Amino acid sequence: MSLRQKLLLLFSLTVALAVAAVAWTVLVRIRLVFEQRDREETALVVSQFQREFQHRSDEVAAAVDRIASREGVRSMAVQLTETGDGSPFVTEAETLAQEGQLDFLEIIGPDGKIVSSAQWPARFGYAEPAAMQPSATFMKREELPDGTTALGLFAVRPAHGADAVRLLGGKRLDQSFLADLPLAAGMQICLYNNFNSPQLSAFQQLLVKFDPERFICAAGKLANAARYQSLIDPARNTGETSSGILYLTDRREDSVSATAIPLKDESGVVLAVLTVSISRGGMVEAQQHIRAIAYGVAAGGILLAIALSLWIAARVSRPIERLASAAEEVAGGNWEVRVAEGGRDEVGVLAHSFNHMTGQLVSQRERLVQTERVAAWRELARRLAHELKNPLFPLQLTVENLVRARVLPEAEFDEVFRESTSTLGMEIANLKTIIGRFSDFSKMPKPELERVDARDVVERVRSLYEPASSATGPSNASNAEAAKIRFEVELAGEPMPLDADPELLHRALSNLVLNAMDAMPHGGTLTLSARPNGETVELRVADTGEGITPEECERLFTPYYTTKEHGTGLGLAIVQSVVADHHGTIAVESRPGAGVTFVINLLRAQDAKP
Amino acid sequence: MNMRWIVLSQAAMNEHPTPSASSGQALATKIQAWRRWGTLCLLAALALHAEARTRPHYGGTLRVEMEGDAWQQNVTQAGGLGGPMARRLIFDGLTRVDLDGTVRPSLAVRWTSENSDRRWQFWLRPGVHFQDGSPLNVAVVATSLTGSCGAACPWTAVRAVGSSVVFTSDSPMPNLPTLLAGDDFSIVHFASTGADAAPQPTPLLGSFVGTGAFEAVGFSSGVLTLMANDSCWEGRPFLDKIEVTGHKSIRDQWLDLSLGRADLVEVPAEQLRQAREQRLTVVVSGPASLLTLAVADGGVLSDANLRAAIALAVDRSSLSNVIFQKQGEITASLLPAALTGYGFLFPADRDVNKARELRGGLTPPALTISTDGGAQMQLASQRIALNLREAGFNVQVAPPGPVHHADMVLLRLTLASNQPQAALESLLRGVGVGSPVVEDTSAGLYKVEREFLQTHTLVPLLYLPRAYALGGRVRDLSLSADGMPLLADVSLQDAP
Repeated sequence: MSLRQKLLLLFSLTVALAVAAVAWTVLVRIRLVFEQRDREETALVVSQFQREFQHRSDEVAAAVDRIASREGVRSMAVQLTETGDGSPFVTEAETLAQEGQLDFLEIIGPDGKIVSSAQWPARFGYAEPAAMQPSATFMKREELPDGTTALGLFAVRPAHGADAVRLLGGKRLDQSFLADLPLAAGMQICLYNNFNSPQLSAFQQLLVKFDPERFICAAGKLANAARYQSLIDPARNTGETSSGILYLTDRREDSVSATAIPLKDESGVVLAVLTVSISRGGMVEAQQHIRAIAYGVAAGGILLAIALSLWIAARVSRPIERLASAAEEVAGGNWEVRVAEGGRDEVGVLAHSFNHMTGQLVSQRERLVQTERVAAWRELARRLAHELKNPLFPLQLTVENLVRARVLPEAEFDEVFRESTSTLGMEIANLKTIIGRFSDFSKMPKPELERVDARDVVERVRSLYEPASSATGPSNASNAEAAKIRFEVELAGEPMPLDADPELLHRALSNLVLNAMDAMPHGGTLTLSARPNGETVELRVADTGEGITPEECERLFTPYYTTKEHGTGLGLAIVQSVVADHHGTIAVESRPGAGVTFVINLLRAQDAKP
Repeated sequence: MNMRWIVLSQAAMNEHPTPSASSGQALATKIQAWRRWGTLCLLAALALHAEARTRPHYGGTLRVEMEGDAWQQNVTQAGGLGGPMARRLIFDGLTRVDLDGTVRPSLAVRWTSENSDRRWQFWLRPGVHFQDGSPLNVAVVATSLTGSCGAACPWTAVRAVGSSVVFTSDSPMPNLPTLLAGDDFSIVHFASTGADAAPQPTPLLGSFVGTGAFEAVGFSSGVLTLMANDSCWEGRPFLDKIEVTGHKSIRDQWLDLSLGRADLVEVPAEQLRQAREQRLTVVVSGPASLLTLAVADGGVLSDANLRAAIALAVDRSSLSNVIFQKQGEITASLLPAALTGYGFLFPADRDVNKARELRGGLTPPALTISTDGGAQMQLASQRIALNLREAGFNVQVAPPGPVHHADMVLLRLTLASNQPQAALESLLRGVGVGSPVVEDTSAGLYKVEREFLQTHTLVPLLYLPRAYALGGRVRDLSLSADGMPLLADVSLQDAP
């Protein structure tokens, strides 16, 4: 990861985290504010509903009171009190209930028994304990002729003029009652019928599970009634009001803020649970709108921060990148590179130092080249002197012999003269040879490329030197020892075509083979191998001689450098020159005592690459 | 009406003015003489007029309203051809039963029995014609009687022998003459209609004819029109026409009566007190129908103890005193005590504890009770269900309407006769027990009744009367033994 990328990542993460923290804080605060407002609105609505409910209770009481004050009821009550015979009035309650718009009405005689019942006309003569209720209005579960029960809001009033006769009237708490209640927008009133069999104990009633079928609203049964269980169960079991937020579907908009109000009879038994729920759809939509804006702002901020980070990172990293690029160029050998020096900051100082450093390097390199050139000339001079000194000394002796032989008799002089001229000719020829070698090195011919197979090149070298090594051995070794050099050739089975000059390549390999043979004066194994190596062909010439030191390896290809007593130091230089002319590489691998291996890699022919 | 007029006349006489003492004696005497003379003339005129009103007049249309259908057309059921009221006006039986229970000749002039009442021979009245003019003959009678009851007939075979009809049976039929007076055995003749006859508005109307005093001539908009049969063998009825309007609520019937749009309307027993308070002229029969609870003896109630528990749990007094407004006569026997004298031997008191004991702690599954009646019968059903719940039964009242199956059915059985033996057989036949009652003594009837009631498949509850309210112009209305009005004898006061 580059410095610029690191800086960009660092800046971006910093800004993004800061923006996210701010956005989260804002959203949490908004949510808390909305929820607080939602609770307050719910409490207000529930309070209004409870007042409306109380108002309905008062209406029931008023309706019963109006019926109780009627003249007909008064005379009936008087007659009941006087005669105790309620049979003439057995259907009276039904008529009065219709006129008073009540769902339930019972006329209770002085003996506390039902004289007439609107909701269950056949129930006359049975006692009605609820008629003795002291409270103005109360909840009561009323049994009906069809075996069902109905929840009602009841009130008891004595008949005017005959207090012993009481009227117990009420309105049914059912779907129509709920539908008749004034509802605010988004408000829903539902009722859970908590009726259980009277035979069940209080504990057993607690175990009765929530039944969605018992939950009705003004519009009928709710499809997602089960969602209210978490609110209704506590109200059923504890008799206390419970509130909470209910998610009716998986969408947050379909959530309500609900309050479950237990409706209890006089003994505290929960007869039903009334739920007042207010839709949170509007609030959630507003929250989502604000959240969307916050997310948009945060995303915009983060993008802007990334852009700024990119600019800042680029501004900070550009001089360093230039320095890095210049350093790479220096590392690549271009010591002439310079970087711009701007500003007085640390980067400016660094650029200045870099430029100074490269300047120093260039000057040192020039001095080193000069030194090496002088050293090379000195070595060349030493070699030339050494090479030339050897034939010159016999020449000098021969010439001095001729001078001294001039005084000898002619016959002897002639013999000396013949011997001397022969020696002079031989040494002059030797000088020519030395000069020819130097001339050849300076006049390396350009390769004439043609398609050759590396196997053929290796085989040619082997066929040339293997018999020679077996017959004559190296020049400075005895025949007995020379017989110990063994040739091994390792060639790949597939063709290894090369675009190369076969003569130059043969000459280079021959030099390496001769070097290897020289390196094994006491015999050994000379291995020639050729094998494909990716896009190149690898040629190896290895011996099992004593090897060379790493220092010797470094200088091995330096012209005129030799480790041999009579070498010119041009053989490996010529090999390197040939390999370089073929755009190949040559390397040497050696360890002391483990021989030397020369590795040549040449490009495989372009149209023959695998 | 005559008594009412006499009371009015007496009131008029009581309002006779006293002569003033301040006038001169002569003038006073003259005036008093003139007044006496005038009064005598007025009394004489009124007396002559009253004498004239005692004779029934022919003509006029009697308007009758009822809650039920005026013209039932279910010929597959006994008595389903026409309502009971219309049926009795259109058709006659071989016999008829008087109010005192005496069997009188009708289309049969005489009858004899042989072989211990196993063979009965009835001789037809000669010269009787059906309303379409065809003569009454034994073949038609035999066909009608065979078709009236099918396989459930009390006789084995009926055939024509000369001018008589012979009934034979393997078992004695001591009550056959009384049974033949019932509506189920009215003589009905399939009328022959010509090809050019006008299509009848009601398919069955006019298809069947009888020998009764009236002939059905129209049925539209729920109103059945009956025209007097001028050639009736008993003589032409006083009324020209009777219009029977069905499906009228009691409230509407009473309203029409008070507005003069109806002459004869129904008064349910439970509203008798109310009718009297409204000063309606009401005619009330004796015990005419038996309110009874039929209990199925299969399924859940196959246990006789459970049925006995049900019989003991029902509170008859509340049914009688409250629901039927003290117009019912509590009974635990099939026949009224007034007919048999042994009614007290069947205890009618409620005993919830005994009922619970008989139930034996068993909690049978939910039972259903239904009724074939209207709102009051529904109320009675609810009361019975409430009684049974106290005894530990779980009873649901079936809503009004047709019920395919119910464990208990509250029904009203008609007391067809004042003759105990025939009435008991008729009642038993009404609940599907077709065996004839051969006992004719009180002890024998008690035994029959007790053996039947011990099965607890029928729980007698109350005897209820039938009652009708009359308009001011209706004269000479009487009720039959089962409380049905005998309209053939009725005349109208304002008839021409």
